[in-house]
Amino acid sequence: MKEFAPLLHGYWYLLRGAGMTVLMAAGSIVPATVCGVLLALAQVFGNQAVRSIVVAYLFLIRGIPLLVLLTFTYYLLPLTGIDLPPFWGVVMVFAFYYAAFMSEVFRAGILSLPRAQWDAARSLGMTQRLMLQIVIFPQALRLASPPFVSLCANLVKATSLVSIVGLWELTMASREIVERTLAPFQIFLGAAVVYFCICYTLALYGRYLERRVLQGH
Amino acid sequence: MIFDPNFIARLIPALIEGAEVTVELAILTFVICLVWGLVLALANSAQGPSSWIAGIYIQAVRNTPLLIQMYIIYFGFSMIGFGLSGFNSGLLALCIQNGGYVAEIYRGGLQSVSPRQYEAGRALGMRRSTLYRIVIIPQVVARIIPPMINQAISITKDTSQVAAIAVMDVMKVAQVWVESSANTYDVFLGVAVVYLVLTSAVSIAGRLFEHKLAFAQ
Repeated sequence: MKEFAPLLHGYWYLLRGAGMTVLMAAGSIVPATVCGVLLALAQVFGNQAVRSIVVAYLFLIRGIPLLVLLTFTYYLLPLTGIDLPPFWGVVMVFAFYYAAFMSEVFRAGILSLPRAQWDAARSLGMTQRLMLQIVIFPQALRLASPPFVSLCANLVKATSLVSIVGLWELTMASREIVERTLAPFQIFLGAAVVYFCICYTLALYGRYLERRVLQGH
Repeated sequence: MIFDPNFIARLIPALIEGAEVTVELAILTFVICLVWGLVLALANSAQGPSSWIAGIYIQAVRNTPLLIQMYIIYFGFSMIGFGLSGFNSGLLALCIQNGGYVAEIYRGGLQSVSPRQYEAGRALGMRRSTLYRIVIIPQVVARIIPPMINQAISITKDTSQVAAIAVMDVMKVAQVWVESSANTYDVFLGVAVVYLVLTSAVSIAGRLFEHKLAFAQ
């Protein structure tokens, strides 16, 4: 096990990096979810003009890699004169990027409810607002929860990209240790294990939610 | 200066040269993953050790970042004596990760065919090969095409990460040009257009293929 000695020296630094990764992911998931819900609502209930704006936004975001957006935010933000700390700049990019994917998840949740649910609520004389509040949204959110969780796991993995634009988190921390110890295989493998623990926990939770959703039907 | 025509005239050929590397990586990855994912999915659905080996592989690659996998292969393998070029490391990492995703798509497709279809085929006295050829496989193919198109788009975007291991794809070309010219807006627009064109082409090609197949059935 002598080969893994660099990992024993560096593990605390890696775990601190993992803390930063989790913080960054959590900080991005909240605004991404809010924007995602708004986009989904705009697409389902909005008029033609609103819908086409949302569709154009989704087309742009889904066609451009996250790394391109991150890199150019890093170069462009100083030029525009907006003075944002790098951490919040990154969180902003993640929020806008993942909002597009979240909106698809929530939209699918709303649209996959059977037509009968809408008709039943209406025939009971519910107002539009009451119907959405107590019939549609609770069920739609339940249906959307498993893919939502797997999207969150995806976002955790994507935070590794911020190391390319120079922010410090788990991947950057492992690169720094590699520069000192010259043991890339062991250290990056260690980082992979840490990512795996975070993402696999989320994946298991998603699978648990999926089983519960299936049982409910 | 923004929208400098002389600058753009020099930029376009450079971006196209980078885009050729991106396209090459994306096509190779997709084709290899179609085969590798099928091998994994079949191994996973079989009984015995091959099933859990494939299962562990799929979970391991899906829950760790592509960037870390690239670093393990590019920096790690050269330390233990199997040095690979940047292009080959990137291609290997893309295939390793996306193979796991493609395997899950195949598995979903195979599981979505109800057991009654097999029973009905057997009840009609079909041979195993006939049953698969005219009952099962056409249904599986029809169901896996939409997620496969999404995966191909995702692969096209993921190739941008090879820029981190010094492969001159369109992303890396853009980075070099931004750093040497400071003409960030033009380069950003250019690289965004390249990715939008590539992902739209994948999506249109996929839809044409789906349409053609629907007529064939």
